[in-house]
Amino acid sequence: MMKRLVIQLARFGDIVQSKRLILSLLRDGEVHVCVDRSLASLARLVYPDCVVHAVPAHSCDARTVLEEGRTLFERLHTERFDEVYTLNNAGLCKAVASLFPPETVRGYSVRSGQVQRCRWMRMAFRWMALRRCSPLNLADFWAALAPAPLSPALVNPPAAPGGKGLGIVLAGQVWHRSAPPEALALLTRIQAERLGGAGKCPVYLLGTAKEHPAARELMSRLPGTIVETCRDLTGKTDWAALADVLSGLDLLLSPDTGTAHLAAHLGVPVMGLFCSSAWAWETGPYGLGHTILQTDLPCAPCVESSPCAQGVPCRAFFTDSDLLAYLAGKGKTARHFPQRVRILHSAFDEIGQIWREESGPPRGVPVPRVPSAGTREHDTRMRNALRAQLAEYLGLGGAHGTEAATLLYNESDWILPPLKP
Amino acid sequence: MEHPLRILVVLPLYGGSLPIGRYCASALTDLGHTVDVFEAPVFHDAHTALRGLRVAESRTEQLENAFINLLGQAIYARIERFEPDLVLALAQAPMSRQLLLRLRKEGIPSAMWFVEDYRIFSYWRVFAPLYDFFFVIQKEPFLSLLEGAGVPNAMYLPVAALPDFHRKLELTPGQQHEYGADLSFLGAGYPNRRAAFRTLLRRNFKIWGSDWEGDALLASRVQRGGVRISAEESVLVYNATKININLHSSLNADTLVSGGDFVNPRTFELAAMEAFQLVDRRSLMPDLFRLDGEQAELAVFSSPEEMETAIDFYLAHPEARQDVTRRGRERILAEHTYQHRMNAMLGFIQSRLPNWPRARAQHSWPEGLSDGTREELARLLTELGLPSDASFDDMIVRLRNRSGELKSLEVGLLFLDEWHKQYS
Repeated sequence: MMKRLVIQLARFGDIVQSKRLILSLLRDGEVHVCVDRSLASLARLVYPDCVVHAVPAHSCDARTVLEEGRTLFERLHTERFDEVYTLNNAGLCKAVASLFPPETVRGYSVRSGQVQRCRWMRMAFRWMALRRCSPLNLADFWAALAPAPLSPALVNPPAAPGGKGLGIVLAGQVWHRSAPPEALALLTRIQAERLGGAGKCPVYLLGTAKEHPAARELMSRLPGTIVETCRDLTGKTDWAALADVLSGLDLLLSPDTGTAHLAAHLGVPVMGLFCSSAWAWETGPYGLGHTILQTDLPCAPCVESSPCAQGVPCRAFFTDSDLLAYLAGKGKTARHFPQRVRILHSAFDEIGQIWREESGPPRGVPVPRVPSAGTREHDTRMRNALRAQLAEYLGLGGAHGTEAATLLYNESDWILPPLKP
Repeated sequence: MEHPLRILVVLPLYGGSLPIGRYCASALTDLGHTVDVFEAPVFHDAHTALRGLRVAESRTEQLENAFINLLGQAIYARIERFEPDLVLALAQAPMSRQLLLRLRKEGIPSAMWFVEDYRIFSYWRVFAPLYDFFFVIQKEPFLSLLEGAGVPNAMYLPVAALPDFHRKLELTPGQQHEYGADLSFLGAGYPNRRAAFRTLLRRNFKIWGSDWEGDALLASRVQRGGVRISAEESVLVYNATKININLHSSLNADTLVSGGDFVNPRTFELAAMEAFQLVDRRSLMPDLFRLDGEQAELAVFSSPEEMETAIDFYLAHPEARQDVTRRGRERILAEHTYQHRMNAMLGFIQSRLPNWPRARAQHSWPEGLSDGTREELARLLTELGLPSDASFDDMIVRLRNRSGELKSLEVGLLFLDEWHKQYS
């Protein structure tokens, strides 16, 4: 029996997206999870079979961070873990990594003050340079650190409507990753109609207290019959209450948020509204039965920390008339098939999560055999090639051609003493 | 200095300036500064391998330049991480031209301590103007030449001793037997030394050090086949010897006592150890030591004949040896330690750079820490060689340079530092 520690010091969504890794490790031993104190009860909810360690950081003062932090580190040190998984490319995570002998650490280890990425992490940084062709979901990326990753289908229950109504997540962590209020109102109407008609489908508005004004604005844009069924829960749910509300929903409409990942964990169908830096192939909700509306411009996905000089025009694509007509079941013609928003449905292959794109009825335009760079067809081809190469690396399949291999491997892999896998 | 500085010391790959670089780092640390050392010697084997490739000489040069550029990039990566107030390089340190220009552009002061003879190492003309500060072991005409070459901030800074390292030792009988002799010389086999030491063959005389090949007369006196002697072992040799001959090097075999200007490190090191030396007179020596009269701090000679006479006298008068060495050590402790030199160097830089060091955002210690944590922190600061009022940031720099497994408090402090970056 192995005793392992997973250090996951990132946000809400990242904790849930570590699920495939953590479940994989739980199969042959004891797993401890180290998370930010503000997310510890969430971690206990998602991972009831793990020992959760809460590290003081977010919303703490410096004294607490030092004194209570070192007490925790002392405890972690004395646990004598066989393996430690450090998942985040962040200073906090790397500082904790320095507590453990580098031979036992997968991910980011520290040897004599020098942080080192394992081979898998190094490869990830190479494919991240081509985000449009991103080959791997984050959950699968972390899971691949495990000696024997769990089958993707066993991670989350297949998503299915539960009959409890519609959930609306009002905003992501940053405004530019969220659909504008007018789009959210239109999409809410369409989905409420689809789920039984206005006035018959309960609608739950979800978010922190900060989103309370957004909830009011949304309601001001909805017809009275829907408003009557709306329950504004912004700022009113702790983790357990949030999980309760989500359980049994028919659908959750959400930007790329932790709540969407929690819904996927519970088997609730998610319709993700992905724009700006949110990219379905990286952080789409895990499991079968989810849909992503992915806006797409040549500049997508953008860098979260860099402001958009054009004012994030992709957000407005969610009000595209072709898209709305299509979602309402009125636009299934070649002429009106949405072009600026891609409609993606979740599926699995041998490595993990993939997205199947709705292409609409044929338009009569021939697709070139070798698509030119910058086109969606080219991205898809390259994504598939990278994925095949990764499958070969992980011992799950075979690759053809060298284009993807050239991107994933470089001289240091070939020449220098090997890093840990 | 009012506030402790962050100083990156860049060592050379090899050679005589290498131990001096280590002494500088040690002295700067003793003075309370936060020091990071770029350990160029660990790359020395790679360079040796390049030189031994047996390829066209033009190709070797190309490869060597690429190697130096690589080292320059490695040094810059350390600079990015450490954010020093000063980069101090010792002669032959692998500071590429590109790196020096980059430092100047970014306003990071660079200093070179050129502990070499400018007449022999004439490449100084090219590289001296690239440094912001240039410290030398010779005075005129070198200082004027530097000014003429566009080096406005040059200063005479003789070498020194590190008393904690260059100290008197109680030797075991075995060590005394192995390293002891009436007369010893430790150093390289320069032509003037080879010629001068022939007259010593009738005495109990040992030669330590390298580059003595091809001299059949002296061969029997060369210890261990002429291998290089480490700085640590040299202290044993000096301590075990009744009279250490210290003859400054010269390429000219016709003038055995060259009468040159600069004073070599051995002079200061032997004096610090209270080990007796007979040293050839140098023109810059009177500024540093009292040479004549009853209160002489060094025993000097100006010719081979004087050397022979002095050897006879001091072998016969051990008490006279003791008097000289005692005074020599007192002078060293008062004026000629590397701590003195580093203070002089930093004082000079500060006098030429009024707003130096640049203010940096400092993170403070957390408030309201328990007594237990405070006591642990005090112990950790002592362990790290830092004063009790050291800043949080200086302690973090020291912690980051620590090797081996860290304790929970140390990890807690590194975590707090990252927390500052993420949440402040």
